[in-house]
Amino acid sequence: MEFRILIPLFTLSILLLNLVSCTKEVQIDIPGYKDQMVIDGSIETGQPAIVFLSKTNNVYSETNFQAYLNGFISGATVVISDGTTTDTLTEICSDNLPPGTEEIAAAFFGIPVEQLANFHLCAYVSLGMIGQVGKTYSLKVIHNGSEYNATTQISQPTPLDSLFWKPEGAFTDRGFSWAKLSDPMANNDAYCWQVKYIGMPNFKKTFNPFFNDKFFNGKTFEFAYENPMSFDDPMLDPSYRGYFKSGDTIVVKLSKIGKAEYNFFEKKYNQIYSGGNPFSTPTNVPTNIQGGALGVWVGYAPWFDTLVCQ
Amino acid sequence: MWNMKFLLSFIFLFLASLSFTQTKVTLSGYITDSKDGEAMTDVKVYIPSLKLGALTNNYGFYSLTVVPGKYQVEFRSVTYGSEIKEIDLNQSQVVSVELGSKVTDVNEVVVNMKKTENVTSTKMGQIELQMDQVKTLPAFMGEVDIIKTIQLLPGVSSVSEGGQGFYVRGGGPDQNLVLLDEGVVYNAAHLFGFFSVFNADAVKSVNLIKGGMPANFGGRMSSVLEVNMNEGNMKRLKVTGGIGAISSRLTLEGPLKKDKGSFIVSGRRTYIDVLMKAAISNTSPFAGSSYFFYDFNAKLNYKLSAKDRIFLSGYYGKDVFNFADKKGGFGANMPWGNGIAALRWNHLFSDKLFMNLTTTYSDYMFKFGSQQDEFRFELASGIRDIGAKVDFSYFPNPIHRIKWGADYKYHTFTPTSVTAQNDTTVFDTGAAQKLYSHEMAAYVLDEFDINDQLRFNVGLRYSAFAHVGPFTRYIKGDGISTQDTTIQYNRGDLIKFYHGLEPRVSMRWLLPDNSSIKAGYAYNYQYVHLTSLSAVSLPTDIWFPTTDIAKPEKGWQGSVGYFRNFFNDKFESSVELYYKGMKNLIEFKEGALPGDNVSDNTDNLLVFGQGWAYGIEFYFKKAVGRYTGWVGYTWAKTERKFPDINEGNIYPAKYDRRHDLSLVGTYKLNDRWTFSASFIYATGNTLTLPSSWYVQEQNLLFNYGARNSTRMSPYHRLDLSATLYSKAYKTKTDPATGKEIEVKKRYRSNWSFSIYNVYNRMNPFFLYVDNDGDFLAGNFKLTVKQVSLFPIIPSATWNFEF
Repeated sequence: MEFRILIPLFTLSILLLNLVSCTKEVQIDIPGYKDQMVIDGSIETGQPAIVFLSKTNNVYSETNFQAYLNGFISGATVVISDGTTTDTLTEICSDNLPPGTEEIAAAFFGIPVEQLANFHLCAYVSLGMIGQVGKTYSLKVIHNGSEYNATTQISQPTPLDSLFWKPEGAFTDRGFSWAKLSDPMANNDAYCWQVKYIGMPNFKKTFNPFFNDKFFNGKTFEFAYENPMSFDDPMLDPSYRGYFKSGDTIVVKLSKIGKAEYNFFEKKYNQIYSGGNPFSTPTNVPTNIQGGALGVWVGYAPWFDTLVCQ
Repeated sequence: MWNMKFLLSFIFLFLASLSFTQTKVTLSGYITDSKDGEAMTDVKVYIPSLKLGALTNNYGFYSLTVVPGKYQVEFRSVTYGSEIKEIDLNQSQVVSVELGSKVTDVNEVVVNMKKTENVTSTKMGQIELQMDQVKTLPAFMGEVDIIKTIQLLPGVSSVSEGGQGFYVRGGGPDQNLVLLDEGVVYNAAHLFGFFSVFNADAVKSVNLIKGGMPANFGGRMSSVLEVNMNEGNMKRLKVTGGIGAISSRLTLEGPLKKDKGSFIVSGRRTYIDVLMKAAISNTSPFAGSSYFFYDFNAKLNYKLSAKDRIFLSGYYGKDVFNFADKKGGFGANMPWGNGIAALRWNHLFSDKLFMNLTTTYSDYMFKFGSQQDEFRFELASGIRDIGAKVDFSYFPNPIHRIKWGADYKYHTFTPTSVTAQNDTTVFDTGAAQKLYSHEMAAYVLDEFDINDQLRFNVGLRYSAFAHVGPFTRYIKGDGISTQDTTIQYNRGDLIKFYHGLEPRVSMRWLLPDNSSIKAGYAYNYQYVHLTSLSAVSLPTDIWFPTTDIAKPEKGWQGSVGYFRNFFNDKFESSVELYYKGMKNLIEFKEGALPGDNVSDNTDNLLVFGQGWAYGIEFYFKKAVGRYTGWVGYTWAKTERKFPDINEGNIYPAKYDRRHDLSLVGTYKLNDRWTFSASFIYATGNTLTLPSSWYVQEQNLLFNYGARNSTRMSPYHRLDLSATLYSKAYKTKTDPATGKEIEVKKRYRSNWSFSIYNVYNRMNPFFLYVDNDGDFLAGNFKLTVKQVSLFPIIPSATWNFEF
């Protein structure tokens, strides 16, 4: 839904180049590597804050799963505050999870539940504080003598007017789901769109889940979104991919986020879709964290709704 | 005070030198080619007994004022060598000469010509291409290309493999003023830059000024590429054409009225789309994808009287690219092109005062439309200029050659205009923003001789630029404590005015041993800028004017050179040293993605900085004989410093190249076969690659290192060509004598064979970091991949004329 204007152009250029070009692997000196802290933290209404700490890796270093796991930083001091109350986050690791949280954790780390115990993946969780609408949360991370700071806000969520489903093209039982949204008049509203089948533990992001109100500020409009779960099912007929099936019951989550946080996600998705392409400028994803770390500290203000596709 | 005295005595001396008391007479006229009546540029009209001479201008006009007498006057041209006429100059005379009517030993006289030009002129950093030679050099896919030939000269480098953009002495591709018959060409490229918009059959002459820009040119900081179209054959109807692997061309020219007026029309079209259609079956998901370009040149000229001549020239060219991916529900259409028109009037006020008045129209547009399922999107960008220019050339005496003039342009820029629609919902993308501006300049210059050794070319240019309404300025807030505000300007409101003086000086000091030292200094303002998002040149690059935020770019260049000819002028050589400083350079902010016009101005996405470049160029040329060619070598460095890029640290420009070597050779075996070869070696371009990776929400993200800190491997390539000409003469029985005589054939043809990239070098076009495998499975891998464009490509073209 967000206008990724240059993306079709990038795709096009790559396709065109593939027609005439030849590609080979080369070893070339890439100077400028520095070891940096990566903070991936979030807090949403009614949920505790969760913060993952890792570090950057050299491009030529190993990029297998073990290297990724080794990158997790444990033993840091992580503190959040809402201005009146302060909470020091507790480090919880995958091999020592509180009962009932396995599935959520597995989805967070992106690994199967049964493999969780085989790894020592750690996150910092605010057991003493949950997110509330209207509050501003500051984050402080101290590790190896360095301190990193960030703030985020959980603002008023924007309610969805309605949800509906309609068949697409020649299909009678497959189609996109649609939503109707009335954007508030204030500028710079930004959102994250997620969806799941009812009963699933975690929401899933659509391909381009972040958008802002630049093109529809203060307007009421309808938009379609695809089914991200359908791409995970290897048995599904490829022509059905992207569609919801008649009879599916889904839950959608529209979370409002701040401008700096949106900036992070917008550039992140730009990089994912155009990274390395010669037709784009080399763009680092801008962080909202001070002190030399990469990553984001984001507050989500979600609005939930349920739809039976029919 | 001292300065004032100096200035006054200088002015006095200047005036005194203009007004000799002795009676003088003026020899003036036009020099044309007897073959087709085309005006001949840079022909030297020389009186050996007085050691005085004059050169013809772009319109073939010359004027030489001397004491009365009977003189042997020599008319020297590169094409025909020397022709001598005895002229009794007791009073001023108009002598117009048609050169080439008698057979001369071309090679012998070219030597003389070269002797006077390379060493003696004040021109430095200036090269004129001979179209005959350009046409025998190896051509990519058989398309003769003047811009690719220019890229073989020292101090000039290409943007990328096959690219049309060129960098002159460390300046950006937008710092070159490209003129086609005095109309500005904003994008000189077809097919993403692989072909030039100049159809070689329609081009008469090409002149590149890369340093010491004279005051009659301005508006760009680095160079001037002056391309003049053929005027059309004044004598007879002539057809020229060629059939090549990817395109064909046809030119028709002839007299409107013999020796009074003529016309030329020339067209070219590629047939890649036809070939693609054949290659892509109807059932293919990509059916409907195609690409083609065409261009069309036309020119008319007419001599209204002995003192008046008019020229009307036009160019129109377009590229159209269609892409269809039915399976992915994706389609795109991308047309872009230039339109240029120029109307010129030459008038002789007297035999010493020549005027040219030009009105021009230039238009460049780019559109991109795409459709993904129900989402339709269109982006357009463009620039339109209308302008007028007047230039006077005054030849008071052989010591002074004075020019003055003025130039005005009205620019309309559309940096980006976007429309978007999803099914029936039309998105608010804002109204297309246009920017309007006036650009003006006036100049005066004098080329004068202090004595036989020392010659100066001193000029001053004044330029000004006004950004005017209607315009909406958006001042961006941070969205938290400050909100966006706007300033509304109405039609005609002056938003910002810039102006400045641009001094230009160059000198030549003639030394013994057929050598000279030359030096030059030029200061330039540049009011229009090309902003590029990508590491390679694309039609998506946006032309953008100076505004209240974007200041004019300013640059100065100082150069000094030593010029020497050897072995009776068979060889020419030069060494030139230059330093260039640039201010207010423009780049997009890191991470900027322009694309819509909602509550924002494109220049809010720009950042400004400075740059500098320096280098040394060696040029060694053999201009005559069976073997001709040149060797050019450049050592150069060019850097940039922007407070908002690369954390404010100095970084190399993307086209910073330490070494650039080119070897060009042509061997004329006999009247039928000519062989050519060219070889280039260049240090690899710089680029920015990610130096580290990290993970956020299971997505792999890259962190880039210092700007342009990675260097690609060097670029080198050898091209070969061979041209086989049909027999130029046929035998015929002379009806008068009954003897067999040789007569020149009217119908002539040649086959031109080229091999591009002979040893199939995979030169880097760009590099990227690719990822393969599955993270969880443990076989995930990041690798740096190099993309190369063109392997060895042989081609053949058949050319004809009658």
